Amino acid sequence: MPSHLRCENVTVRFGGLVACNHVNLDVEEGRIVGLIGPNGAGKTTLFNVLSRFQDAQSGELYYRDQPISRRKPHEMISIGLARTFQNINLFREQSTLDNILIGAHRRMADPFGAMYSLPYARRRERENVQHATEIAELLNLSAELDTAAKNLPYGSQKRVELARALAAQPKIILLDEPVAGCNEDETAELRSIVKRINREFGITILLVEHDMSMVMSVCDYIYVINFGANLADGTPEQIRANPEVIRAYLGEAEELDS
Amino acid sequence: MTDATLGTHREAESARRRAVAALKQRFAQQDVALACLLFVVLIALPLAPGVQGWMASQATLVIVYVIAAQGVALLVGYTGLVTVGHGGFLAIGAYTAALLTKHFGVDMLIAILAGGVMSAIIGTLLGLIFLRLAGPFMAIGTLGFAFFIGTVVNNAKIFEGREGISLPPKNALFGHAIGDTGFYYVSVVCLALVTLFLWSLLRSSVGRALRALRDSERAAEGSGVNRWFYRTIAFAVSACITGIAGALSGLAIHFVSAEVYGDIWYSVDLLVAVVVGGSSMMMGPFIGGLFVVMVPFFFEQLVDFASILKGGVLIAVLLFAPAGIGEVLARPVRAMRARRLAAVGMPPERSLGKPMPVNR
Repeated sequence: MPSHLRCENVTVRFGGLVACNHVNLDVEEGRIVGLIGPNGAGKTTLFNVLSRFQDAQSGELYYRDQPISRRKPHEMISIGLARTFQNINLFREQSTLDNILIGAHRRMADPFGAMYSLPYARRRERENVQHATEIAELLNLSAELDTAAKNLPYGSQKRVELARALAAQPKIILLDEPVAGCNEDETAELRSIVKRINREFGITILLVEHDMSMVMSVCDYIYVINFGANLADGTPEQIRANPEVIRAYLGEAEELDS
Repeated sequence: MTDATLGTHREAESARRRAVAALKQRFAQQDVALACLLFVVLIALPLAPGVQGWMASQATLVIVYVIAAQGVALLVGYTGLVTVGHGGFLAIGAYTAALLTKHFGVDMLIAILAGGVMSAIIGTLLGLIFLRLAGPFMAIGTLGFAFFIGTVVNNAKIFEGREGISLPPKNALFGHAIGDTGFYYVSVVCLALVTLFLWSLLRSSVGRALRALRDSERAAEGSGVNRWFYRTIAFAVSACITGIAGALSGLAIHFVSAEVYGDIWYSVDLLVAVVVGGSSMMMGPFIGGLFVVMVPFFFEQLVDFASILKGGVLIAVLLFAPAGIGEVLARPVRAMRARRLAAVGMPPERSLGKPMPVNR
């Protein structure tokens, strides 16, 4: 499989703290790749580097072998990369539909046409509303399209985040702890949705997650980082059997077995 | 569930959704009808007994304030950027129109357009600077801009300082001299065009992008919204609208002096209008503009009392109705509409069931 998103030797320092230390990661096209590690291992920092919200002191990023280290965060969507946030980051006052439509921002007409409501801009808007409605259907959000995001139950808010990322029609989605704080039913639902997005739409997924059963059951490949550095990578079976990983997760070993 | 019951369920669901959509469309039509009614009243106003000449120019002043406040509301309410310096754009519009009229005798339409364009150009340049400042720092930056404009118009010779620029007593529209009532109609048309434009902008993807940036910068950027670009657009459009209002106000009074336009209280007044009326609703600037013009008007003999009243109302609004008077007026209507929507099957608003998880 060709490389979809890759980082080489990424180092990020916050003052004296080294959050990422020469980290390498290669997400292959069409796969679900997991990124795990103990708390404070630098997962979210690496995520922010990959989505360009965080500059790295050194290291290179490649999207389909094109260097993207100098791109701006808002440009990542047009390259084909969307992301979700660990702590739900929705537009709380706005409806579910508007939240999803923001995801479709790059497919809207130019601002000039939009401002004056010119016919072609309104046509584009209607197409995007139609598409957003379909995404909502896929994620079981149809009944909540008009509800303000802040009034949605927690699990639905998580799904709106995902819907917003999907609305951009990305080629790869970075999911930052999609099931954190969810109950078992919500977790099961999101797990099947993540699988569907990958299998049916062929979207590559990079997943940061603490829920080991989720990671082990959906991921094709897993990277483990610890203290900001690569610890191991391999298939779920290899990771589960890796003694170094077990040591890093000391006390969480039973969880890995599940 | 069998296929048959699933089918009925789906049908009921889509029927429900259609009913909700139809009702929502009706509500939207009601809003548009209300706006049209307002403009009918504005058009009929000079026909009412006693509303001639001087009264017409007072009404014009209200309209000018409403337009200026619309410009401020675009920035403060919908984009989430606080400006305390829009009096500067009012002055730029007024002086551009006045200088063009005095020295070149241009048609008033050209003067008004030029006021808007000049303001938009300067607004764009300033936006590029101010948008680098965050939160309160930007507010202070815009305040500095208002002081700067005040100093310039007080001292640069071309603006004739406190002596002021006197304009001919009649404005020329397409070569015809028009009086106060005629000018009133020109400002009503300007108000209508600006309102229509803002309405179109706010419901488009541009308005959505601005609101998204206001609510969560990171999430908006993560969704591909270019922060600089959209905020600069907002700043330029806002400056342009306030500039148009400035041009109108200068031409309406036939006199532009630094005593009026060099005063930063204009900027504060505009912000008060927006906050009191309601910054993130179309109705807000209308209520706010009426408020800031009519309070001094009714208390003509008691200028100080008018200021105290303005301040008192501002504090009361901030305490008890932070979304503005417009929001208070709209509340019963919204509640009634929510009930009618619930009757056709739209799920009622729920409160968040579970607290947000703690950041790990």
